[in-house]
Amino acid sequence: MISQRAIAILILITAPCSLVLAQQGPANAEQAAPLPTPRTAAGRVSLRGTVPGTNGIWLPPPVGTPGTGTPVEEIPFQPWAKALYEERVILRLEPHARCKASGAARQFLTPYGVEFVEIPELSSLYILDIGGPHSFRTVHMDGRTHPANPSPSNYGHSIGWWEGDTLVVDTVGYNEDFWFDRYGLPHTESLQTVERFVRVNHDVMEYELTVEDPGAYTGQFTMAFELYFRSDEELFEYVCQQSNFADELMVGTEQTRTIDRSTRIVP
Amino acid sequence: MKFRSPVLVTSLALIAYGNAIAHHPILGKFDDGARVHIEGIVSYVDWRNPHAHVFVNVAEAGETLNWAVELGSPLTLEASGWSRETLLPGDTIVVDGLRARDGSRQVWGETVTKGAGGARLFALQTTPRISPAASRPTPRWPDGSPALGATPDSSSGYWSYPSKTALVEDGVEVAMNAYGLLETLDDAERVAPFKPWALALYRHRQQRQLRDDPMYLHCKPPGGVRQYQSDFGFQLIEDRESERIFVLIGSGNRNFRIIYLDGREQVGLVTGDDDNPLYYGRSVGRWEGETLEVDTRGFNEDFWFTEGGLPHTSQLRLTERFTRTSLDTLEYAVTVNDPGAYTRSWSASWTLRWVGNEDLPAHFCQHNRS
Repeated sequence: MISQRAIAILILITAPCSLVLAQQGPANAEQAAPLPTPRTAAGRVSLRGTVPGTNGIWLPPPVGTPGTGTPVEEIPFQPWAKALYEERVILRLEPHARCKASGAARQFLTPYGVEFVEIPELSSLYILDIGGPHSFRTVHMDGRTHPANPSPSNYGHSIGWWEGDTLVVDTVGYNEDFWFDRYGLPHTESLQTVERFVRVNHDVMEYELTVEDPGAYTGQFTMAFELYFRSDEELFEYVCQQSNFADELMVGTEQTRTIDRSTRIVP
Repeated sequence: MKFRSPVLVTSLALIAYGNAIAHHPILGKFDDGARVHIEGIVSYVDWRNPHAHVFVNVAEAGETLNWAVELGSPLTLEASGWSRETLLPGDTIVVDGLRARDGSRQVWGETVTKGAGGARLFALQTTPRISPAASRPTPRWPDGSPALGATPDSSSGYWSYPSKTALVEDGVEVAMNAYGLLETLDDAERVAPFKPWALALYRHRQQRQLRDDPMYLHCKPPGGVRQYQSDFGFQLIEDRESERIFVLIGSGNRNFRIIYLDGREQVGLVTGDDDNPLYYGRSVGRWEGETLEVDTRGFNEDFWFTEGGLPHTSQLRLTERFTRTSLDTLEYAVTVNDPGAYTRSWSASWTLRWVGNEDLPAHFCQHNRS
């Protein structure tokens, strides 16, 4: 089931990226022990390259890697969320495949990867994604709190801080227009996520996502996977809209070309 | 008894909604010669970018028909005092606006009048929310160099409210709306030194009221200078450690591009498998005193590089100059060099306003597109 799903999603979402997929994964798995975790001059963990000024891309585990799927049996779904999830698993109409920016864990599961740009003197961190939306998430590291009533957005409002060697990012203010994982776990605007990033060595970062959404679940749950650093790679331009022809999946057929929104009939 | 307008007769709140027609090629979709008036009950509010929609059930000849009322972006509406709760399903509203050219039940809402009591009046804010401050000095990094974004000592923020929103050669005055649609088509040849084919294409795009705009149709990126012409703004993030500047782009699909200051070579147009021509091109920059000078080449031809539909080719080369003359002001100047479309290089310039202590608006063009 997992492998069938993985193959289908590969074809649906990442077919143009198969070359890159073939290259990713633990880069130096059978080679020498990885370098230690890079640190800044101030001694804090750096998410960049070992040599100051150098950078790299964090790649996701290959699709279908055991343990990276959603542990469905452990998730405390509300009934409607379970039903919607089961439908999504069948239909697989993931918004990300239509160029929608997809927050939380999904931002890290794009085949081309992301770069973390922390600028300590500005107390800010930017997470820039290459594939999919080719967009960015701003993480405020200046000690501010979330706004009282954030305008819902695809990436939400993120605040972050370091707990020792762990980067913690707390996010609220999501809209409901994306999937926060690869397989379609539902969420509502009540979603709050806490992400923990632990760079265990130069090559590997452990990622853990804690999900709390009283609109869709009866309790908290977590999922986790690893990200892999490729130090010889720069951010490059990727425009999902270049030749995205999946739009008929969304609201109709040829009419979408003219952005005809007259067909929605709500009682 | 004095005359009362139809709106006042219904004793409803007026949500005036002035010049929003300037946004996007609205006239490409809606006919300003076909006014429409509908009354009905709100069935759904789709509060999304780039344009919010309100769906209205209207009783017509014994049946209920559902109309789509298209409005400005949620960001624009919020600036005008709307919120997501201003209109709710079940509210009775009256809409006056423009009917879709294709005859479908769609209307561009010019005025929306709410019937659920309350006499609130909302008007679109067309002027910046912030007033020009007394000149405050340019923020600087500890080493004295000027900062294009935040510094450790100054607030974060972004650049918006461009003083010009369409590209016209410096020194030329032509009448056009905020999105580059000419008032008089005969002015087309004055906008820039076009080659004949480029002028013909520009006129064609203008005659079609910009409805072929790839950003409008398919959310293609606002490459070239277009990213500096939108009220959604842009943010400049100086990553000094790695000698590069990120341009975080508020319009289009919230992309980013990178200006490298690390002395790398400008490789220009590359057509190999790995480095096809790009929407944002390849940018290298260097500081010339107080000015950041950026050389960008390697563009593809799949987008409009400015509001208004000026053509370009893959030979396009932009030389951009960014100078922060005060905390609140960014001077932007661009020289356009495209021997494929223009007979000579030409220049344009405008200024942008600092929006301090605010995040770049979370606008995704793709939001309510397919």
